[in-house]
Amino acid sequence: MSEDADLVKKLQNPTLKDTAFSALLDAYQERLYWHIRKIVTTHENADDVLQNTFIRVYKSIQKFEGKSSLHTWMYRIAYNESMRFLEKNKKKRYDNIDEFSESHLEVLFEDAYFDGDEIQLKLQEIINGFTEKQQRIFQLKYFDDLSFRKISEILEVSESTLKSTYYTTVKIIEEKIFL
Amino acid sequence: MEKSTENNSKQNFLKEGLKGGISKHHKKYLGTTIPEGYFAKSKMSILNKLKEESKIEAPKKQLVFWMQPQFKYIAAACLIFILSLTVWLQHINKPASINETNFELFAFSDDVLLESLLIDESEVEAFVDATLFNEVLVKVELSEQKLDNFILDNLILGDSLLDDYIYEGLIETIVL
Repeated sequence: MSEDADLVKKLQNPTLKDTAFSALLDAYQERLYWHIRKIVTTHENADDVLQNTFIRVYKSIQKFEGKSSLHTWMYRIAYNESMRFLEKNKKKRYDNIDEFSESHLEVLFEDAYFDGDEIQLKLQEIINGFTEKQQRIFQLKYFDDLSFRKISEILEVSESTLKSTYYTTVKIIEEKIFL
Repeated sequence: MEKSTENNSKQNFLKEGLKGGISKHHKKYLGTTIPEGYFAKSKMSILNKLKEESKIEAPKKQLVFWMQPQFKYIAAACLIFILSLTVWLQHINKPASINETNFELFAFSDDVLLESLLIDESEVEAFVDATLFNEVLVKVELSEQKLDNFILDNLILGDSLLDDYIYEGLIETIVL
């Protein structure tokens, strides 16, 4: 936490900004990439959104007031950028959200950087069957290993709702995965 | 035996948590991978993109340079100074012209007489000279010119009428 505070100070100092930004990339690039990848499905899309996210972080760091942690703030930016990307692509390619949901697996198969086996594909299918909010909650908790408090800040949902949603999704997955 | 293994895996599934790297975790459960050395390349790509963007923004800053507050205020101050100087110069010239024309505008009235008490003698003399010139000499000159014109017109008109009369009368006398 104190490391993040120090990093923010450096990022907000024009003379140290570039060096600090390089350190920020080292610290958060991988985590944010996977957070984005799960929302936008393919590596190519995730790469685009990751770039946009870090450029937005670089430009907006002066406005960061420290009300939330740097970690949470960046996740929120990544989440918003991903949703913006999906909205843009949805308008281009799909007429409605159902069509988009169905196409998620098709897009996943087309991705050169997916080589999942039967179980992995089944997990993708189950997650894809959840509502958009359920998907985000499960992914942020299980794959990104964030605390409920942080997820609550990112998605702006109460912690109790998060917990019940998460345990419900886990139960559904465990029931369906070996069927 | 097979069923107990399945039950164990059911119980353990999703309970291992994040072990090892986050990328390995994703590959293990979701089957998603990334190109080799992707994060190093991506980092360079992001830094280069930022450099390019800052280069593009640099000329914009030069354009904005002239609109920066300190220059705006200087420009506004100069404009106000020029305008006020123009107005001031106009006001400086006005009293002189009023002094010159004052005497010409004055007429012989009580006001003028009262004013003459408050004005220097030299100025009164100048006023008298100017008025004398305007009121007397110019008017006399004009009236003389009018008289001359009147006489000349009459002479010309008289001659032409007489000529016409003689001409018409002569023809009538001859024809009739």
